[in-house]
This record gives sequence, C-alpha cells and structure tokens, in this order.
Amino acid sequence: MQSWFIHVGEMFQRAFIKEDRWKLYLSGLGVTLKVAFFAAILGVILGTVAALMKLSVKKNGKPSVRSIIATIYIDIIRGTPSVVQLLIMWFIIMKNCRNGVLVAVLSFGINSGAYVAEIIRAGILAVDHGQTEAGRSLGLSQAQTMMYIVIPQAIKNVLPPIGNEFIVLLKETAIVGYVSLSDLTRVANQVSSRTYEAFMPLIGAAVIYFVIIKILSILLGRLERRLRKSDRR
Amino acid sequence: MIDVKNLHKTFEDNHVLRGVDYHINPGEKIVVIGPSGSGKSTFLRCLNLLETPTSGEIYLEGELITDPNVNLNKVRQKMGMVFQHFNLFNNLTILDNITLAPVKLKLMSKDEAAEKAFSLLDRVGLRDKADAYPSSLSGGQKQRIAIVRALAMNPKVMLFDEPTSALDPEMVGEVLEVMKELAEAGMTMVVVTHEMGFAREVGTKVLFMDEGTIVEENTPDAFFGDPKSPRLKDFLSKVL
Repeated sequence: MQSWFIHVGEMFQRAFIKEDRWKLYLSGLGVTLKVAFFAAILGVILGTVAALMKLSVKKNGKPSVRSIIATIYIDIIRGTPSVVQLLIMWFIIMKNCRNGVLVAVLSFGINSGAYVAEIIRAGILAVDHGQTEAGRSLGLSQAQTMMYIVIPQAIKNVLPPIGNEFIVLLKETAIVGYVSLSDLTRVANQVSSRTYEAFMPLIGAAVIYFVIIKILSILLGRLERRLRKSDRR
Repeated sequence: MIDVKNLHKTFEDNHVLRGVDYHINPGEKIVVIGPSGSGKSTFLRCLNLLETPTSGEIYLEGELITDPNVNLNKVRQKMGMVFQHFNLFNNLTILDNITLAPVKLKLMSKDEAAEKAFSLLDRVGLRDKADAYPSSLSGGQKQRIAIVRALAMNPKVMLFDEPTSALDPEMVGEVLEVMKELAEAGMTMVVVTHEMGFAREVGTKVLFMDEGTIVEENTPDAFFGDPKSPRLKDFLSKVL
C-alpha cells in the first residue's frame, strides 16, 4: 500500500514538478483560454449579425438576399467538422500567416458564430410577436423595437444555450494542436511522450478543463439569476 | 378624419376583407361587432397598417397612408392601439413602458414624458405602480396601463382590439370605465368588442361586420332596437 502511494507520488512528480513542468500546463491553459475567449467574442458578434440577417424578410414575405447569405454560412459551418475548418484556415486560407492563435481564433470564432446565430434567432423568435406589434403601433421603427424591446428580452432567453455554446467552444479548442499551438491538451500530450506515462498528464489536463468549466458555469448561472430578477419584481 | 375606400385583405387564399368602405369623423366612437372570423380585427389592424391591405385606400386626415412611400412610423404616432393581450413591454417598468416611445422618438424630454406619464397614471389610479414590472400587475391593471401608454403619444385616434376579451370578468368594468372617460373627453375611438352594453352606451355608431364586409351600420339605438339584416338579427339574438 505504502509503495503504491510512493509510486503515484513519483508519477505526479514526473508529470508536474520535474523540470518545472507545471509551467507548461499553465502556459497551455493560457493558450486555451486566449483562443476560447476571443473566439467567443467573435462568435457572438458574427452570430448576432447572422441571426439578424437570417431574420430579415422582404416586403413581400420572401427571404432577402441577406438572409440567404446567412443561411448558406450557417449551413456550411454546421455541415463540416471544426477540425477540417481549422486545417483549411491554417493550410489554405491563411497559409501565409503563421500566427497560430490568430488562425485558431478566426476559425473557432467563425465556427461558433454559426451556432450562436441559430441560438440568437431562436431567442428572438421566442419573444411574443405582440411585443413587436406594440412597439411598432407606437411609431417606433423596426430597429428601435428590436433594440429596446425584443433584444433585451431575447438575451434572457438565449443565456442558457449561449453558456452551453461557450463551454463547447472551450473544450473544442483542444484540437488547436493541429496548427502547432501548445494548448493544454497538447502540453499534456508532450509531457506524456517525455515521461512515457499518459496517466497523470491526461488526468491532470482533464481536471483543469473541468475546474475551468465549472467556474464558467457558476458565473453564467449567477448572471442568469440576476437577469431573471426583473421577472419577479 | 379616417376614410377607408374599398379595402381588401387576403391572407394566402383566405379573403378576409372583401371591400370595406367607411368614413370616420373626428370625435366619433365607432364600435365594431361581429362574429369571429368576420374580419373586424383585421379591419382595425389595417387602419394603422399592422396589416398591409391587399388593395384599397385609407386616408388619415387627408393623407393617403396606404401609399407605399408614406412614413409608417409617423402615421402610427397619430394612432394609439390597445391590444387584446395588452402587450406591455415585459422588460421595462410601467413608467418606462409609457415613456419609451415619446422619449426615443424625441417628441418629449425624459422629464416631460415622465410628468405626462404620472398625470395619466393618476387618471387611471395606478400612480403607485410606476416602478413595478408588468408581470406583477393584474389583467385589468395591465390593460389600463396599455391605454395610458398609447395616450402618452397624444394620438388623434385610439384603436381598441377586443380590449376586454382576455380579462377576468370582474376586471372588465375597470377597463371599460377608463374607455368611457376617454370617450367623454372627446377622443376619436374605433373599438372592436363583444361588450354590447359598451356599444350601446358609448358608441356614436355601431358597425356589424360579417364575412369581410360591413353588413349594417347605425346609431346604437336603431342598431340594437331595429336591426335590418337577418344576419344581424340572428347575431343579436345569440349575444343579447
């Protein structure tokens, strides 16, 4: 029994302490968070624009050119694996740019935007049409009604699925090793190939991901509760 | 004040309005009744162009508002609308519900709008609800606020689309009371309703719509006392 503890201790020592390897995980986590954070921002911006484009209709009720463009964007992104998108971005579209973080942020941001677009579109459609009619009947324009009445209510609707999308995005960045970025997953892999022990580095990476996502979901839960307060007052 | 000429509205292959002609003078209180599906709500919603008429013309104070080049938002500022389901803005307090449009449309400063809102809230006895959110109000209170919200824009005419149909019976009275006061104050009103008592008491004209046309139109006394068309006689025998 005692020897088993010593064995685990040594494994831990080799995976995290020796040669200051914990610093590698830390910098890997930094890369993961950096990519996820900026991709999430880009995703929300692109998603909002695409959702509004997709919702726009012509006066005769037919879909507008803008909505067709948005639909094509969403279709293509959702219809292809994000690894393939990342590789296309790295080896084809931005082959002259060797800034891995930039390529990853763009690729994941564009990817996430398609999903966010559908989430936001659903959130806007879930706001009762009577709210829009009331706004328009007072003489507010379509844009003013959206801005002051519909979108504030839609934000409450979309917060849970958007939070989910952020979590998926954070985990999905584990593939940025493909474009030679040393994120948390890749660092764990590199360490295990140095020590010939996969257990500690991979479990360690898993625990770090878990903790980060747990913190993120607690923060999102708080935000959600705060926004819901106005419902009950 | 409002002139409607040969108004038609079609949804897909459903011909809802089949040629409506009507003239509304300032100060009149027009009450529209009829069976469901008769087109009365669609007629009302065409007046402020929440529904785009398929054909026909509507003039508001001489301006052809069915012209595609007309500024819809400007037209709607002159027409208050009250909905069956109140449609108060759920994300805003009562005060903000009332002041949003006048302030954002730059018709009033924030202070002016608030002052106006409070004087209107006093009129309907709901001043103490200014900071509440719509979800905490009863149906009758919501509808009174909805009327106040429309009035805050100083409209020339008020449109009511079955304003009491979604209310619990004991709350109908308080809303009709506000509407009566409004009528007495001289507001031009078009009211789609099933409240026959209100039609008789407040209406200057009562319209009976059926199958997309105005079948009969008369003063309340003649309308209820001496209905001409068999369809109206039949309808009144069922609702009175």
